[in-house]
Amino acid sequence: MRRLVAALALVSLALAAAPGGAQPLPKVKLGVLKLTASAVLFLGVEKGYFKEFGVDPELVYFQAAQPIAVALASGDIDVGATGLTAGLYNIVTGGVHIWIVADKGREWPDYNLSALVVRTDLYDGGVRSLRDLRGKKVGVTQIGSTFHYNVGRYLEKEGMTLADVEIVPLQGLPALNDALTARRVDAVATAEPFVSRLESSGAGRVIVNTGDTFPWQIATVMYSDKLAKNRALAVAFMRGYVKASRTYYDAVIARKSGPAYDELVALTARYTGAAPELIRKGFPYQDRDGRLMPGDVGRQLAWWHQQGFVKARLTEKDVVDESFLREALTLSLGFR
Amino acid sequence: MTRLPVPDRTRALTRRRHPVARVLGLLALVLAWEVLTRTGWVPPLFLPSPLGVLASGAEMLASGELAVHIATSLRRIVLGFGLGALGGVSVGLAVGVFSLAEAIGNPLIAATFPIPKIALLPLLILWLGIGEASKVAVIMLGVFFPMAINTYTGVRHADPLLIRAAVSFGAGRWSVIRKVMLPSALPMIFAGLKLGAGTSLLLLVAAEMIAANSGIGFLILNAQNLMETTRLMVGIVVLSLLGLASHWLLVRAERAALPWRPEV
Repeated sequence: MRRLVAALALVSLALAAAPGGAQPLPKVKLGVLKLTASAVLFLGVEKGYFKEFGVDPELVYFQAAQPIAVALASGDIDVGATGLTAGLYNIVTGGVHIWIVADKGREWPDYNLSALVVRTDLYDGGVRSLRDLRGKKVGVTQIGSTFHYNVGRYLEKEGMTLADVEIVPLQGLPALNDALTARRVDAVATAEPFVSRLESSGAGRVIVNTGDTFPWQIATVMYSDKLAKNRALAVAFMRGYVKASRTYYDAVIARKSGPAYDELVALTARYTGAAPELIRKGFPYQDRDGRLMPGDVGRQLAWWHQQGFVKARLTEKDVVDESFLREALTLSLGFR
Repeated sequence: MTRLPVPDRTRALTRRRHPVARVLGLLALVLAWEVLTRTGWVPPLFLPSPLGVLASGAEMLASGELAVHIATSLRRIVLGFGLGALGGVSVGLAVGVFSLAEAIGNPLIAATFPIPKIALLPLLILWLGIGEASKVAVIMLGVFFPMAINTYTGVRHADPLLIRAAVSFGAGRWSVIRKVMLPSALPMIFAGLKLGAGTSLLLLVAAEMIAANSGIGFLILNAQNLMETTRLMVGIVVLSLLGLASHWLLVRAERAALPWRPEV
């Protein structure tokens, strides 16, 4: 009997001490939208940048930003890369931590991701600014979405408030297109490729381009609380992300052409199934090192709270943690 | 003569009402729920506390927000339910009484009844727009079918003996319909109304989740979009109260309309 126990102990020791190379890399589930805006993550996965630092990423596709935030809260995914919504901030208000850790796309001059489109007949009738839209129906995807935020901030720039228009949530970008085409709303806050489609079909005309009007931190990389507590893995993922972000920046923002750019377009086309012309138009601007726009998340938190869509008065330290990025950047100094 | 005690062996079958146990069971559940959320094991995001839901509901009631949602939803339900029930009973009666109407109506109802009404919603929106009409129409359709089918079945099951008796006493066609067929169909009609009430709540929420600006369905969807689970629970509780209220009203109406029936 004693011998049997000893033998079992030996076997289990041998199993535990299996050679490190044979062990699979720790998996990280990465929730993204199948859009051009996720190009930097497709790049990191495809080129093996995450594996280089010991992380095996698994892409999980979602249809909208909000479900990604919910999946982060429930622990179904470890990393989310998508737009910042009031729903995300309310999750944190509800007692579940989600951490905003890096830049993943900004509304930026000449890099417009979204726009306000009005019906062509209204445009021809003289509606050229938000002032002319007073009391009109403006379609957005969802209450609390980035599009809702866009409309609210456009209005504020004109000295108006959300109460000056009628916000109609239609639940999706295709529904916004249909509603404007069928003239059931007067304007829609929408994004590419739907902006181009509306203009080419003659249904609508752009009156505000978001990036040109007010730049903001629209999308970020987010960690679930579980991943944030696993510091080594969280930093390792971030090192892979920084490498992908720099490669992306150099190809798309700095050069705008060349073999690396063409390769990224082809790769994104393969992952999203979108046409290359649309992809070229849809690449977002982001910081080369993945740094967040200073103070912008705080501005969003204050605005949503002031409008009554986020109940608690959160501050940046409740939702932002750039320490992973800082550590990754320090470790990656030699990789420039 | 001696009296033999006879044990009542059917005692086990009598159903007592246990009014205290009913209330206690519900209270215990709510209490356990409150305690669970107080311990902090479950974040309020996943399971808001009953007191939190109550407080949020009271706050929304005080601000008048809840009243607007309930009023909008009630208007849609009353209109849709009323029109659907009226249409259903009329069509059911006609199909049940007249052979020509039966020949035309029966296959039509059989072909259109199985279509889930939610699937028709996008089509209704195209036809009637995103306003009130499409929302009322989908509820109307959902109520119409159970009403028509139940009324038809009720009329067809009217006791032929009673009909013959009425006719032999000199009752005319309308008299037979009004005094024999309709009353004997009433239990089925009320069963249809109860079914329809449940269906109309379901369709109301579905319809209000598309392009609405107010209503309970809108409140729930909105709370989901904003991840405000407490407000979401308020919406669900209001729906459940609406369901209870409509059931209570229908039971009352049934007792008033069918005084000869034993209480169910």
